[in-house]
Amino acid sequence: MNYDDLISAATDVGYLLLRNGAEIYRVEDSMQRIFRAYGVETGEVFAIPTCIFVTITTPEGKSITKIKRLYTRGTDLDKVDQANDLCRRICRTCPDVSSIHAEVEKINRRPVYDFWTQVAAFAMVAFSFTLFYGGTLPDAFCSLFCGAGVKLVNHFMGRFQANAFFTNIVASCVAATIAMLAVQMGFGANLDKIIIGALMNLVPGIVITSFMRDIMGGDLIAGLIRFVESLLVATAIAIGAGIALMVPRLIWGV
Amino acid sequence: MDVYLPCFYSFIACMAVCLVFNVRGKLIFFTSLGGAIGWFVYLLCRPLQNDIVQFFIATVVITIYSEVMARIHKVPVTGYLLIALLPMVPGGGIYYTMEYCIAGNTQMFLETGLHTLGIAGALALGILLVSSLNRLFGMPRRNKNNR
Repeated sequence: MNYDDLISAATDVGYLLLRNGAEIYRVEDSMQRIFRAYGVETGEVFAIPTCIFVTITTPEGKSITKIKRLYTRGTDLDKVDQANDLCRRICRTCPDVSSIHAEVEKINRRPVYDFWTQVAAFAMVAFSFTLFYGGTLPDAFCSLFCGAGVKLVNHFMGRFQANAFFTNIVASCVAATIAMLAVQMGFGANLDKIIIGALMNLVPGIVITSFMRDIMGGDLIAGLIRFVESLLVATAIAIGAGIALMVPRLIWGV
Repeated sequence: MDVYLPCFYSFIACMAVCLVFNVRGKLIFFTSLGGAIGWFVYLLCRPLQNDIVQFFIATVVITIYSEVMARIHKVPVTGYLLIALLPMVPGGGIYYTMEYCIAGNTQMFLETGLHTLGIAGALALGILLVSSLNRLFGMPRRNKNNR
């Protein structure tokens, strides 16, 4: 049994889970299960949203440690689902350790919806949330463009590797600006409903939910990190939309 | 009937969110259904006249629904929960708080801000309650470390 390979394989699976938005306890639990499936009872895993630390002790008493940093995180529930399946399969059948890497690669290559579908999805989110919050149908159509704008900004800022805080400020600023133009030109009536609909694309709903689940699982540090993250996102959204609303007020007194 | 129209909007919104988070296959339908059910429960509880309690009850229902669905379809519960809860997230609250802040209306700014926090707290508490109960009656998790 090559323990170096085992720890690499387990870290690959853990990395795949964490990167695509699984909760901390799922990451730690999955890795521990893999270790136990291969007969290593002394695996210790510590994961936070930005890093995975893992140590195992071989039967000869030698410790092996691996640290894996995460720089980008996203939410891709299909991959979480597949990684979870992979983990169960590994625990059930104990395949050759070297084959796990190929399996992980295979999951990594699974398709995502293409760019324009995602733009359409962002637009639809904005559209339906505008209606949901009580906007009229014309408002919702204005919101379509704001939502698409949010996705385009996210995409192009991602190319320049801008940090998430700045990206959110710009995205919400753009959404609010489009909404104001639309209302000024008379296409929409309720400025607030249009902007809220578009901003639902950015609100940290995901983070609020997962931070609570992390805290519940006893992963306090991870929970705190996500809590701070959600506060930052909410602040960024408010700042961005705030700038867009304030500048015209200052200049033209609209 | 018009009152319950938002349930339909929330269903569509959740479907779009599924595309954003790369959910595939039949899960899209069941996840979005969770969002619609959540808002339906919220509306059913209107007689309570207290939206924080309404949010709390709706969250509890969504979390139970998600846990059950995750068991049936053998997928991680996170996906269901994340998306179905999205219509509950106080996006409007964040926006109005910001708007009052810009307008210099401190009184309303504080009031709306605290109310938004209250809603977020209600969501968190709802998830907390169900997840903890689920863990009590479900599989014990970290016992292996305490052997």
